[in-house]
Amino acid sequence: MKIRTIGRHTREGFKNLFRNGWMTFAAVSAVAVTLFILGGAMILSLNVQNISVNIESQLQVNAYVSSSYPQKHLSTLEASLRSLPGVRSVSFISKDQALKKMEKLLQSNADLLNGIGNPLPDEFVLQAKDPHQTAMIANEVRLTPGIDKVQYGQSVIGKLFTVTTAIRDAAVVFIIALLVMGIFLISNTIKITIFTRRREIEIMKLVGATDGFIRGPFFVEGTLMGLFGAVLPLAALYVLYRWLVQSVPLFPPFSLLPWASVLDKVVITLIACGVFIGIWGSVISMRKFLRV
Amino acid sequence: MIEMQDVWKEYANGVSALSAVSVSIKQGEFVYVVGPSGAGKSTFIKLMYREERPTRGSIFVGGFNIERLRERQIPVMRRHIGVVFQDYKLLQKMTVAENVAFALEVIEVSRRTIHKRVTEVLELVGLSEKAHMFPRQLSGGEQQRVGVARALVNKPSVIIADEPTGNLDPENSWSILKLFERVNDRGTTIVMATHNREIVNAAKKRVLAIEAGRIMRDQERGEYGYED
Repeated sequence: MKIRTIGRHTREGFKNLFRNGWMTFAAVSAVAVTLFILGGAMILSLNVQNISVNIESQLQVNAYVSSSYPQKHLSTLEASLRSLPGVRSVSFISKDQALKKMEKLLQSNADLLNGIGNPLPDEFVLQAKDPHQTAMIANEVRLTPGIDKVQYGQSVIGKLFTVTTAIRDAAVVFIIALLVMGIFLISNTIKITIFTRRREIEIMKLVGATDGFIRGPFFVEGTLMGLFGAVLPLAALYVLYRWLVQSVPLFPPFSLLPWASVLDKVVITLIACGVFIGIWGSVISMRKFLRV
Repeated sequence: MIEMQDVWKEYANGVSALSAVSVSIKQGEFVYVVGPSGAGKSTFIKLMYREERPTRGSIFVGGFNIERLRERQIPVMRRHIGVVFQDYKLLQKMTVAENVAFALEVIEVSRRTIHKRVTEVLELVGLSEKAHMFPRQLSGGEQQRVGVARALVNKPSVIIADEPTGNLDPENSWSILKLFERVNDRGTTIVMATHNREIVNAAKKRVLAIEAGRIMRDQERGEYGYED
């Protein structure tokens, strides 16, 4: 194929978009609507995932130091906890700090603590690199000499993981289902728009055009329709999401991701889907009309 | 130029359209194909540019063995033949000039050459002024002249026309005919299926009469010969 033919196909592709006005409009809006839903679902699931990660990362292991443990060896104990596999961070809360916290918590009733000294132990707070390993780490910590007692939310941790995993799986299934549905819907729309042009294709073949030559402008047209069909919902999603982030008050761990951190995934997915669907719909569905 | 040897055509639904047709047409001839509706004229024409394929027999057009042609060579063969259709078969979304240019774009000629050839051929058919109009803005006669221009623009050695005047009034029919005669004078072979008695009788050219799928008459300086 000569360069000038590629140029010709590009010009024709652009022209066809305008000359088939309503058909272009129908195909682009089908792509746009589907991709809008897909993009919305993606943003939603990214946020749900983020929130579930936030919640999981708040899991921590509280390890209480036995009262008989010599104070001067506390730093050795901290080092040995830090060296446990899978531990991300270790922080120390001394019994004095713990007492202050408690007083704050009790507020006006703080005088209840008067006269009983400080009954609180020194405490280490550990976080796992992978929240799923929290229980395992807790068991390791319990076996460390000098540690008296370990707490890590035993009763809720299992349920929490079941819920967060279910939410993530559901989001993935939902998005895949949307994708399949969308591709089906769009390729049907494009098929219809091409069907109305089968006469055109037949004429071209009778005048001596090769299949590739006829496909050229359709290819360009499909790409452009897919692109437009992706850019429109992206703009709409951007505006909507920005509004949502600004106007819906949320607090951690329920916070919305900033647009920048969903941007790349959503843009790439939508544009890739749009272009793929546009080309696939145009080029594949015209195949049977080429047999003249 | 065109050679058919013992050609048979039976359609998938069992209709036998052509039986044992053998014909030889030389370069530069002007041949009318006449016969009642449904006699096989259209099939006869369509076999020549491979819109239909024969059930049996062999067909040669301008050095191409139509029956042995590979799929990829079909477009190449069609570029050497100018085809004019009863329903014009113009691309509705393209202007007159673009319709004509299309036949040149497929052979990847430079844009300058395309412009030059399109201008020439539109002048020949008398449509220079309407080059940028769309087919729906033209009369039937004008549309068919676009069809002829498109068939001519490649300078093919043969023009095949399937009832090109079938949808036209007598005046427009004659103008199409005049065009064909001018082209034929330059040595282009013309094969034209028609129902137009006046034209055939006035022209005194070779006439092939097809009836019930067989060639019943092959006559130099022939007449239409039917009472319609």
